[in-house]
Amino acid sequence: MMLLTIARRLRTSWQDPQIRRYVGYMFLGKAIGLGLVLTLMTRWFLPAVLGAQAAAPAAPAPAIDPTSIVNTVNTVWVLVAAFLVFAMQVGFVMLEAGFARSRESVNILVEGIVDTCICGITFWLWGFAFMFEPGTPFIGTTGFALQGLPATYGTTGVPLLAFWVFQFAFADTTSTITSGAMIGRCGFIGDLLYSVGVTGFLYPIIGHWAWGPDGWLATMGPIPFHDFAGSTVVHTIGGAISLAGAIALGPRLGRVFKRDGGGPMPAHDLILGAAGGLLLWFGWYGFNPGSTLSAMDTQGIGRVAFNTTLAACSAGLTALFYGYAKTKKWDLAITTNGFLAGLVAITCPCYWVSPSGAFLIGIGGGLVVVWGIDLLEHLRIDDPIGAVPVHMMGGIWGTLSLGLFATGKYGAPTPTGEDVSTVVRGLFYGGGAGVLKAQFIGSAAIAVATFASALALMYAVKATGTLRVSAEGELEGLDLHEHGTSAYPEYMISGSESVMIAMSARDEAA
Amino acid sequence: MKLISCIIRPDRLPAVKEALFSAGVTGITITRISGHGGEQDIVSVRRGSKLLLQFHDKIKVEMACSEEFVDRTIEAIVGAARTGKVGDGKIFVQPLDRVVRIRTGERDNAALTPVTSDEVQKHSMHLAEVR
Repeated sequence: MMLLTIARRLRTSWQDPQIRRYVGYMFLGKAIGLGLVLTLMTRWFLPAVLGAQAAAPAAPAPAIDPTSIVNTVNTVWVLVAAFLVFAMQVGFVMLEAGFARSRESVNILVEGIVDTCICGITFWLWGFAFMFEPGTPFIGTTGFALQGLPATYGTTGVPLLAFWVFQFAFADTTSTITSGAMIGRCGFIGDLLYSVGVTGFLYPIIGHWAWGPDGWLATMGPIPFHDFAGSTVVHTIGGAISLAGAIALGPRLGRVFKRDGGGPMPAHDLILGAAGGLLLWFGWYGFNPGSTLSAMDTQGIGRVAFNTTLAACSAGLTALFYGYAKTKKWDLAITTNGFLAGLVAITCPCYWVSPSGAFLIGIGGGLVVVWGIDLLEHLRIDDPIGAVPVHMMGGIWGTLSLGLFATGKYGAPTPTGEDVSTVVRGLFYGGGAGVLKAQFIGSAAIAVATFASALALMYAVKATGTLRVSAEGELEGLDLHEHGTSAYPEYMISGSESVMIAMSARDEAA
Repeated sequence: MKLISCIIRPDRLPAVKEALFSAGVTGITITRISGHGGEQDIVSVRRGSKLLLQFHDKIKVEMACSEEFVDRTIEAIVGAARTGKVGDGKIFVQPLDRVVRIRTGERDNAALTPVTSDEVQKHSMHLAEVR
């Protein structure tokens, strides 16, 4: 019966010349598309991916025997750290969704997931080549789509692809930090556009300066710029882009600032927010200790993990008590942002400072974040979760702090242990202002370059009209407006069960 | 005495509250509600399937007023809640038989008059300063 009905409907529709024309167009379009895809695959993609792989030059002998247990241990260490860093994605979406209003939670979750996917593709195709491969002091120019690269990265002895996963997790962190200050009013298409810009161009190109094998900050004389795990490269870049985004977008509708008699908008789930913050702390144990890229430097990874812990603790307490002095309440959000700022701050100096140094750096981070929140409030910049104070300002403080607190006892990690042939010594340990000067140059150059190019990127996206949603969409909430659902669909009185029928009836009538 | 209840857009609530307070109406009850009026349904998506959300989130504000306050209350609400688009809401005015203030047992108009509206205002100002 059913089949007969369908056959009858097909026959009647086929007699309609308009429908026949549409079907013709559809198949024509599909044929053109298929042709294009096939041409691309045979002409360009397959040779690039398969052919080049076959023709890749034989890998130069790695610095150490790849079969030795040393490489195995280091590779497992780097991968475990990479997985921990990836867990920070969970922390970020929880933190951001928790500290935002419920009406924009789905948007945050979708952005977190999609930014990760975009980052993986761009970092494979060209991001890694821009950032970690040799070229000019300003940008890497070899190894696109990871073609023609040796089996292990540099002198680390770690397989290239394992190193890629670790660095992908870092790039993804930057990308997610970026969305933090733009919550609640940024359109989804705009988010996709600027995400490609951030993970495809801003982060890899500017990151190359500090972390590329021939980056100008990494090779700067007499003392090069040091950034152990990315206070500047990951956090200042992410925070500065976030700031540019918040300025280009403007505040959320209805946001009244403190000097106008208002205050921050309410968080919708503090449990989610605080748990996300703690999960970030957990992920940081991959972020910092993993950046040795070597588990053989046992003193190093122990010290880094310890310093990371201590800075987070002192920063959390500083923010807690500072917040109490200001409001006479024990503030959860300030404390969470506080320990996060401590973690951001210790990220750069964690390898080179002593426990007391880490303790003081954490206190600095806790102060900086509270001042930063007040400063943004005063400047009428709407940063819903504090991404700019935590990541940009915390990152700048941490980077500079190395120039003050580096003990002069530690050099650099190597695949087989510690190398103390050149040590890093800061101002407070009798090393003079040389390291501080290098840190200042690096931090200032990267912060200014990132902020300027991010501002250009955001205004370019704004010019396409996709950066900010309409006022109606924003008041309705990004979740319903952009994604068609609420984060808590059961709590909405929807009446939709009876409506599915009504809707199909309407479709038929149309 | 009248019971005035109005249905407004959630984002107009701060403005309506301000307008009511400055009109001297400080005793209000607010409820989150959902309902259907003249607005178009929202299309929602549930794992790839489209559904209609027939009901829109609204806020219901209720207040009991003595006769001389009714008109200015209505004016305050209309002035603050109007955006000019379908879905701005409605105001319903109903007669009230009896009002009792539980704390004192006062009746009717005596129960409707706030302790004094000035004191209420002063208290909120004080709270804001303390914070």
